[in-house]
Amino acid sequence: MGTYRLRQSPFGAPPARRLLCALAVIGVSALAACGSGSGATSGGSKSIQIWEGWTGAEAKAFAHLVAEYQATHPGVKVSSLFVNNDYTLQKVQTAVAGGNPPDIAYLYGSWAPNVAKLSGVVTLTNVVKRPSVNWNDFWVGERDVATVNGRVIGVPALVDNLAVVYNKALFAKAHLPLPGPNWTWPQFVADARKLTNPAIKQFGTAYVTPGSEDTVWHWEALLWAAGGQILNSSNTKAAFDSRAGLASLNTLRTMAVTDHSMYLDPTDSAYANLFNSGKIGMLVTGPWDLSGFPNVHYGVQIMPSFPGTNGGHQTISGPDNWVVFNNGASRVKTAEDFILWLTAPAQVKYFSLKTGDLPIRQSVGTTGFNAQMDAALPDVSTFTTNLGNVRQARPQIATYPQISQAIGTMVVSVLLGKSQPGPALAAAAAKVNQILAGSG
Amino acid sequence: MTVVPEAREMSTAGAVSGVRARTTMVRPRRRLPFSPWHLVLIPATIVLLFPFVWLIVTSIETPAEALRFPPDLTPHVIRLQNYPDALAAAPFGRFFLNSAVVAVTTVICNLVLCAAAGYAFARFRFLGRTALFIVMMATLMVPFQVTMIPQFIITKWLGVHLLAGAGIGHIGALIVPNAATAFGVFFLRQFFRTLPIEYEEAALVDGANRLAVLWRVVLPLSAPALATLAALTFLDSWNNFLWPLIAINSTAASTLPLGLATFQGAHSTEWTLLMAGNVMSLAPMMVVFLIAQRYFVRSVAATGLTGI
Amino acid sequence: MTASVALRRSGRQGLSNPRGRRGRVESLTGWAFVTPATVIIGLFGAAPIIWSLVLSFTNDNGLTSGSAFIGVRNYKALAHDPVVSQAIEHTVVYTALFVPGTMLVGLFLAVAMNRKIRFMWFYRTAAYATMAISTISEALVFIWLFDPSFGIVNYIFSLLHIPQQAFLNSPGEALYVIVVMTIWGWSGFAVVIYLAALQGIPQDLVEAAAIDGAGRWETFRRITLPLLSPASLFLAVWLTINALQLFDEVYLSTRGGPLGATTVLVYYLFEQAFQTNFNFGYASAIAYLLFIVILVVTAIQFRVGRRFTYYRS
Repeated sequence: MGTYRLRQSPFGAPPARRLLCALAVIGVSALAACGSGSGATSGGSKSIQIWEGWTGAEAKAFAHLVAEYQATHPGVKVSSLFVNNDYTLQKVQTAVAGGNPPDIAYLYGSWAPNVAKLSGVVTLTNVVKRPSVNWNDFWVGERDVATVNGRVIGVPALVDNLAVVYNKALFAKAHLPLPGPNWTWPQFVADARKLTNPAIKQFGTAYVTPGSEDTVWHWEALLWAAGGQILNSSNTKAAFDSRAGLASLNTLRTMAVTDHSMYLDPTDSAYANLFNSGKIGMLVTGPWDLSGFPNVHYGVQIMPSFPGTNGGHQTISGPDNWVVFNNGASRVKTAEDFILWLTAPAQVKYFSLKTGDLPIRQSVGTTGFNAQMDAALPDVSTFTTNLGNVRQARPQIATYPQISQAIGTMVVSVLLGKSQPGPALAAAAAKVNQILAGSG
Repeated sequence: MTVVPEAREMSTAGAVSGVRARTTMVRPRRRLPFSPWHLVLIPATIVLLFPFVWLIVTSIETPAEALRFPPDLTPHVIRLQNYPDALAAAPFGRFFLNSAVVAVTTVICNLVLCAAAGYAFARFRFLGRTALFIVMMATLMVPFQVTMIPQFIITKWLGVHLLAGAGIGHIGALIVPNAATAFGVFFLRQFFRTLPIEYEEAALVDGANRLAVLWRVVLPLSAPALATLAALTFLDSWNNFLWPLIAINSTAASTLPLGLATFQGAHSTEWTLLMAGNVMSLAPMMVVFLIAQRYFVRSVAATGLTGI
Repeated sequence: MTASVALRRSGRQGLSNPRGRRGRVESLTGWAFVTPATVIIGLFGAAPIIWSLVLSFTNDNGLTSGSAFIGVRNYKALAHDPVVSQAIEHTVVYTALFVPGTMLVGLFLAVAMNRKIRFMWFYRTAAYATMAISTISEALVFIWLFDPSFGIVNYIFSLLHIPQQAFLNSPGEALYVIVVMTIWGWSGFAVVIYLAALQGIPQDLVEAAAIDGAGRWETFRRITLPLLSPASLFLAVWLTINALQLFDEVYLSTRGGPLGATTVLVYYLFEQAFQTNFNFGYASAIAYLLFIVILVVTAIQFRVGRRFTYYRS
């Protein structure tokens, strides 16, 4: 083998060098030209940035409101950045650690006790006490979630609750009477059984089983309806290991394991489309899902009750908060003014009508208003009036996410038939007590 | 017995079928009018492309038909309007531009920096070579969830003290941290080690310096690897979501994945628009790959090595 | 020329001795070549890792700004955390299935595609396209395919009289569904790498073997595979590093369930940092445990690889 001689490089030096130079110029100018991308963290005290996760109709309605505010408040600039709600906390945590928080951020209510620990979160307790704010006009569930240990850390952004959405056609086909406002959980279970038809892969109901908070809060609604509590009143011990806990868990178990009337969705993504395809008779879900059911004649009914308990037709609500961060006194003032305007009755009414989201103020939910909502999104006003069935909120403690995980594991293991309700409740309660003890 | 190579056509465009060396003893006579490998590749391709079928079908459906489970791949109504709707929902032109600038610049930086470093690791012996390589590989072994906050703080510091365009909120922040990756260095090092060293030695003997050896001898031989790295780096940059989510604070500097996320609410997703956006986002990546494919074969021919 | 002579185990790779005068120049040149990449990777890769190491000795929660050093408490808690040992088990099982699976599928497809037949560009593009698809789309399709009631896989099973499976609803099966999903997602990468490597195999070696009377399989085993070994080593290392850090597919489908069956290490540390515990210090400690595991496994792979990889020099 001799020495190989290469022909000239196919690139040839001059064209390649020119190419590289051109690209370097592009690169540098790209870096330089990006002054437009710095966001509103600079730009004066009347310029605030809000991180929100509105999509579709909500995004349009929100943009309209922002424009209206800027038009009526000259000199104020509100720039909004879309951040998918699931990721907002991560982004906020990183931003706070880096000294770059937004002025306002939309944060899930379930994060509230931990959000309260973030440095820079503005305390709004005195702000919301102003008469013009009319704090008590907000639903009690919202106020509970915006307050951590007596400190108000947010203004309500969204409210919802759980009720039963059912497929009228499937009920008719099975010759079943439609759910009435006085119905009970045993009736729900019986209906689910009758609506199940394995031959055509039709299920009476569904449940999400990823073990996350979605799994947990559905069960907590039943626990409360059965007259039970999650924790004791001082949030020091588990209280769900009780008759009510057993009754509620057994209800779910009957459907999942005995009757096989419950479609188990481990991924939280299929159940809604299944309902829309007419394969599920009843769903326990919230108002956000209604727009995803264009192919079904659905009806909405309040949650059933457990006979012989004082739980009534209780339901659970999952409000979210606008949280204000401290970027200097004048920006805080601008942010507070904006958020109070945004959550004032007139804007709440506009937003709800445009989006189908429930009104976050009680005074807005009049009969006339509810009729208007129903015209746009059938039966959504049942959810609005159902807000009156929200009597309590989940424990507002920092360890709730861990507690939720223990409960989630318990519910899933019962639904999958891996454990019996009694021992599962006991085991979960022991774990929860451990968690509560550990936090001191 | 002699080998009689048939005329080899090097172009892949307008591929010539069935050209291969003919030896009388080994190859069986063909029974089918096409290569039997198609019988393997077609089912395999169906499996590979199946999710794309779903993607494309969803992108041209009406929302009512998209919200079905199980998904029905035969829509009754075709709605091409989803594409203009998706483009109008957010400033996608801007997102495309930002993504393109970031991806192209990242690819170029990676090719340059990783080729230099990869070559050094492959051919040079310098003090601390092994230790440095281990440290580089180590950066691949810690998940991003853990490093993202320190990376954010470092990027912010860089933007404040060194180069404003590379700080938080600017698209430079998306380029600089990824301008060289341990993956690229590792990949090219492995590739350079497979090249016969004789070419480089010959060039050195002829008086070329190391840079010229790299530029004129090694890189031309490495076009398949460079093209592969370019395609992979482009892909990574184009699809990167979490770091841009954290580092970018304005719509004007957002990239395509962030733009697509605007179709995903916490509780409800606009599937048809999201899939239309996904399809449009795929197009540049496929174009990049199709271009890169040509370099796989072209370079081998250009260097005069007998090859495929 | 017989094919076997053309190969030599990896021999001298450097071009001179680092200690002589030419060696010092070479050392400097080496560092010059390496520095730009080192600066970037060091600043944005190594520095955050050191930072996280420091964090793992604190009780930082990612929320409040003051955090205290607590020594090795996090690591001690790690050793006693039953979820950690389960997560390690899940991660290892996943990796042991995913890496060989992807390499085999990739090799098979690459060999099939490495010939000049019609539509080759189409097949190659299809392979690459699987890497381009967004993870959420991939997850949704596989969730559908493996749905116990409505998915295609159970439908095919029913045709073949195999009992219906619960797949993602079954703690025993969910991890394997993720294996299949990710092999699909990564085989395109393996195909691209192997194709690039196959292009570099000189055809005269293959032909020489054919002249010598070797069959197709023997040629493949004795010529092609050894020549592919650098690519195989690269793939094995890179796929392992990624498999041990699996996160996205779990997050987008099972969220670590059912009953923690798909909780892998990175998913667990993400939960600890951002979802349940808000314990950044602990999450960093988990990340360091994972880091040590990956480092050791990679080192072993390189060691073993050195014995089996052939570089032409």
